[in-house]
Amino acid sequence: MLSDQSQPVAAGAGGDLVLTGVRKTYGPVTVLDVPRLVFRGGEVVALVGENGAGKSTMMGIIAGAVQPDAGTVRVAGHELDGAGTHAAQELGITMVSQEFPLVGQLSVAENLLLGQKPGTRRFLVDWRAMDAAAQTMLARVGLEVPLRRRVDSLAVAQRQLIEIAKALGREPRVLILDEPTSALGPTESERVLQIARSHAASGGVVIFVGHRLNEVRDVADRIVVLRNGRLVADLAPEVATEERIVREMVGHELANAEQLDRPEAEAPLVMRAQALEAEGLGPINLTVKAGEVVGVAGLMGSGRSRLLHVLMGSIPSSGGTMNLAGKTYRPRDTADAVNAGVALIPEDRKVQGLLVDSSLRWNGTLVVLRRIARRGLVLTPRADRSKSREIIASARVVCQTPEQPARSLSGGNQQRLIFGRWMAARPHLLLLDEPTRGVDVGAKAEIYRLIDEQRRDGMGILAASSELEELLSICHRIVVMRNGMITAEFDRSEFSKEAIIAAAAVDRVPA
Amino acid sequence: MSTTTSVQIQEAEQAVAVSNTPLARLRRLLVDTPEIGIVVAVIASFAIFTSINSDFSSGAELQNLGVDLSGFAILAIGESFCIITGGIDLGVGSLTALFAVVAAWMNVSLHIPVFLTFLLVIVCGALWGLGHGLLITRLGVAPFVVTLFTFIFAAGADEALAPNPIPVTSSVFLSIVGSTVAGVPIAVIVLLVIAIGAWFVLERTYIGRQIYAVGGNAEAARLAGIPVRRRITVVYMISGACAGVVGIIVASHLTSGTADSVSGWELIAIASCVIGGVSLIGGQGRMIGVVAGAALLVVLRDGLVAVNVNTYYQSMVVGAVLLFAIVVDRLRVIRLERSGKRVRRVAEVKAASHVPPEDVN
Repeated sequence: MLSDQSQPVAAGAGGDLVLTGVRKTYGPVTVLDVPRLVFRGGEVVALVGENGAGKSTMMGIIAGAVQPDAGTVRVAGHELDGAGTHAAQELGITMVSQEFPLVGQLSVAENLLLGQKPGTRRFLVDWRAMDAAAQTMLARVGLEVPLRRRVDSLAVAQRQLIEIAKALGREPRVLILDEPTSALGPTESERVLQIARSHAASGGVVIFVGHRLNEVRDVADRIVVLRNGRLVADLAPEVATEERIVREMVGHELANAEQLDRPEAEAPLVMRAQALEAEGLGPINLTVKAGEVVGVAGLMGSGRSRLLHVLMGSIPSSGGTMNLAGKTYRPRDTADAVNAGVALIPEDRKVQGLLVDSSLRWNGTLVVLRRIARRGLVLTPRADRSKSREIIASARVVCQTPEQPARSLSGGNQQRLIFGRWMAARPHLLLLDEPTRGVDVGAKAEIYRLIDEQRRDGMGILAASSELEELLSICHRIVVMRNGMITAEFDRSEFSKEAIIAAAAVDRVPA
Repeated sequence: MSTTTSVQIQEAEQAVAVSNTPLARLRRLLVDTPEIGIVVAVIASFAIFTSINSDFSSGAELQNLGVDLSGFAILAIGESFCIITGGIDLGVGSLTALFAVVAAWMNVSLHIPVFLTFLLVIVCGALWGLGHGLLITRLGVAPFVVTLFTFIFAAGADEALAPNPIPVTSSVFLSIVGSTVAGVPIAVIVLLVIAIGAWFVLERTYIGRQIYAVGGNAEAARLAGIPVRRRITVVYMISGACAGVVGIIVASHLTSGTADSVSGWELIAIASCVIGGVSLIGGQGRMIGVVAGAALLVVLRDGLVAVNVNTYYQSMVVGAVLLFAIVVDRLRVIRLERSGKRVRRVAEVKAASHVPPEDVN
């Protein structure tokens, strides 16, 4: 395989996948600009990069789901004309990702052969032929499950393997595995790596998008690193140490060393969790001081959101203790959490945060209704209106009237409205899940300002984010999560992008 | 740059600017409070029926109309609570029939005093609703399915309890429908009390606002610390209690515990809500609309009888009104969404014009 790599291969020869001059911009932002990239048949090529580096865009373009602004994608000399995923499938490109999920209510065999009709009968389902075909497909990934089992009754790892079996069943020339091991344990992960290797060995192109660097080094014949939409390194495994990969991913920018005044040393703790456990989480030890911003870093699926939801009482904890502002804290539900002084600004504004069809007034006063109600029950229009104006003003929501529906606001303004909602409740602990997802740059700065104001007011803040830059600039401390546990903790004086990415992505277990 | 921005702002604002012609004002009023349209429809159809048959607005006819309305409207009020949370209660018709029989049976066969009978029936209704609520919130059964059980089960239970009608003799019992205060049947007064109470709970208490929030977005409501399960449970209790009240009114009206005339009332209750502007998706709807929706159905039903229209045309007319209400509601929502987009554009242009000074220079 190494000899393969050293040979210059003519463009479009054999089963190669060749990207030429591929570019994609969204508005003023260039998210991908790759002059030339060749994936050779018989190779596993790992694609790595930070969030937003352009991996998903590149995969989307190859799989036909994203239309590039310029450039061509060729497989074995045939050009992908960009007319959707069908065209890509015709060329033998198959992607395993969360975007083409299995149908939970159907059986294993039905899922594997969805859209195909094995056997010779014209109208009826030929169960015997179907079973035989499905069994062969499962054997290729070394999975043994009953063919008649409903897919939604299977474990995540088994489903992932079925997805891969389904993809392999299409006999692809180009197999794209998009973070195929993120939900898997070590044994299943190893099996997926083997499948990738054997598919390459049979002459196919395998593109492996990965976050776990040890796996990437283990499986890949080449490691391609993207940063800010550009191809910054194309490394052979011999030279690709984990340090090198991380350095290429991060670039040479220094962590934001801007000063952030610290909470007082003797500031009281607002949250102290000890040996906290829940399904897929923990044991976790964590403290947040009054006036402190603590960041939670980690890859997707590392348990960031889960931790916040357990603290909010939205997911039940199964063990350990929590102490909120000096009192024992055991929320049975979110109502308990709100009463005790905990607030959560969730990840998905529209699904988890807003009543999109209701007015800003209703959205704003939602968590303080009882406080503004007379005798704790009667809601007078006057109190409701004046409180909602106060909330809109304090969070600097740009709007025409408090009576306009929340859907009429831009993303940044919607997020500010939710901030205002919780600021009015004056919680001890504010939990932020992706506080600036989907808002533009100006609105981001505004939200950071709101966070800063709350911190100065003495609120303790725990912020989970997939944008490391964000955490580096707003946090006093960052804890790093992996597999539901906190694996590292960094004080602001020790902040280093490399170290944090390494802690999030590299398994510490020595080989 | 600054001039183009101000022009843009002006243009954008003109797009949402409030024009003040009487017609535009009327249209805005109708968009903001769709209930007014239904009230107008009720009055118009009443006037039309009266002009054809002047007896329709006679005192006795009006009292009849009022009694019919009280049954439909109280059921519709209970139903509207469920629909506002995004659920539905299919059981109210069968429960009304069952409670009519139970009320008569308790009072006549068990010799329970009238007022205690009323209280017990209403409590039974609330408890039945509690059962619905618990099955929905604890076991996660869909409201449609849970209340479908009641729809079927209760329809059989009333006949099992009393194969023959139980004649009610208590004068107090019969006075609910039979007596009037200042010309207004007691049943109508009961309706007024319940309607005002329901309005107060929904619009003037924090619980009401939380009920709307649950229907608008249950997950957001939960994460905002609203006890979603309790709110869902309580609306089914309210609906069950309303069915109990209507059961008493029906028994009093027919002077016996029998239930044949009640079939299909759950659908009339749902139709009243929809006509009254309660969104079946949840989160929206007001009491005045619900009562007006029920009133429109009652006026159409009794009015068509009064002008001698054949009974099978009645259903067709009611169906047509329902369709009309649904179409008008959708048009209104689409219009609102469009104006929402325009409002957002103004905000965006304005926000864009707040450029930092160094950029302007």
